[in-house]
Amino acid sequence: MSYVPPDAAVFIERVAADPCCAAITGEEGLDEALESRAPVIFILRGNGLTLAPLVRQVHAANKLVAVHVDLVGGLRADRASVEWLAGAGVDAVISSHGQLMPAIRHGGMTAIHRLLLVRRSQLDTALAAIGRSAPNIVEILPGVLLPSVVGMMPRFDVPVLAGGFVRTEAEVHAILSAGALGVTTSSQALWGTMSA
Amino acid sequence: MPDPDARPRLPSILVASDGHHPVHAPPDLDAGVLVRDTDLATLVHRAASDCPPQAVDIDSVAGLGSDDYAVDFVTGRLAIPIVLTRRPQLAARAAARGNIGLLHVFAYDSTGLRRSLEGHPRSGAVGSVVTPGLVILHLREDELSAIPRPILAYGLIDEVEDARACLAVADAIVVRPGLAAKLAAELVGAGATV
Repeated sequence: MSYVPPDAAVFIERVAADPCCAAITGEEGLDEALESRAPVIFILRGNGLTLAPLVRQVHAANKLVAVHVDLVGGLRADRASVEWLAGAGVDAVISSHGQLMPAIRHGGMTAIHRLLLVRRSQLDTALAAIGRSAPNIVEILPGVLLPSVVGMMPRFDVPVLAGGFVRTEAEVHAILSAGALGVTTSSQALWGTMSA
Repeated sequence: MPDPDARPRLPSILVASDGHHPVHAPPDLDAGVLVRDTDLATLVHRAASDCPPQAVDIDSVAGLGSDDYAVDFVTGRLAIPIVLTRRPQLAARAAARGNIGLLHVFAYDSTGLRRSLEGHPRSGAVGSVVTPGLVILHLREDELSAIPRPILAYGLIDEVEDARACLAVADAIVVRPGLAAKLAAELVGAGATV
């Protein structure tokens, strides 16, 4: 029987309960992530063509897995690669390409639209793209800046994750206080440390 | 071979403009004007005006190619000495012509920063534009030291305090005209210059 990913609401509940998610680059850091309390493992690099065994390992540890389709190797960020990731049992797909969000949702996975904070003059364009793409979650990078820029942004209709240069508990607290659902971080010391 | 001593210097503050209206850098600041998000005709018009830009984000100029001809035109005919670009070869070209080439280094997360730096020419005269600039306050010492200088911090620097803090780490920052005016007023009040 093929794997059925959880509903986006369930994915969001899991993150809300344990807001520090593990961000790893392929198999590097996988063992530590599996042993941590982090509820979701975000795979940001590695070979996208050989993910299925790794995804099964994550599920066996009772965790969910999100894959960045723009960044993993071997895949082009398009509808076919989204289908491929669905077939590999991935629970959520991250992309900066708003047009992929419907395909991700159609595949039963949680759609995460990554918003890169570049400069203020480009923010409106990026926010408009998110408005059109209707993701389940918005991920903001660099997440460590979220507390500084939250005043520039409208209130999103969907939960916000923050990733990038998040290294200390104080930064995590500031980000969560700024309204984020959770953080994605490669700092292993933070994984699963903020359980509700 | 250009004389290295004759190379232009990077002002501490670049005031961002789309070139459609004249923008003058406050005289009390060590500042110049950066033109970005514009088109070729506007850039040419602004370069010939009484407030020519000192810098251009060459990839954001509609109608202008991303090749050596474009760099030669901007630094030669338009006499704009500081070129920001995402393309390593264009930054190197600007530097080879005796100007300042600054390569965009994208700092959204630590892994991305490392990958972005892999393409840096790391030749003496090519510096870096850290995007978004405000994140420079959150980089570790080893990350900062890996970024070739001069470093221009560009993006999301919107408050006087942030500008001051970023200037303590970077060699220069990009700000909007309103913030440049605030910085100038503050410095005049303190009797100092930047």
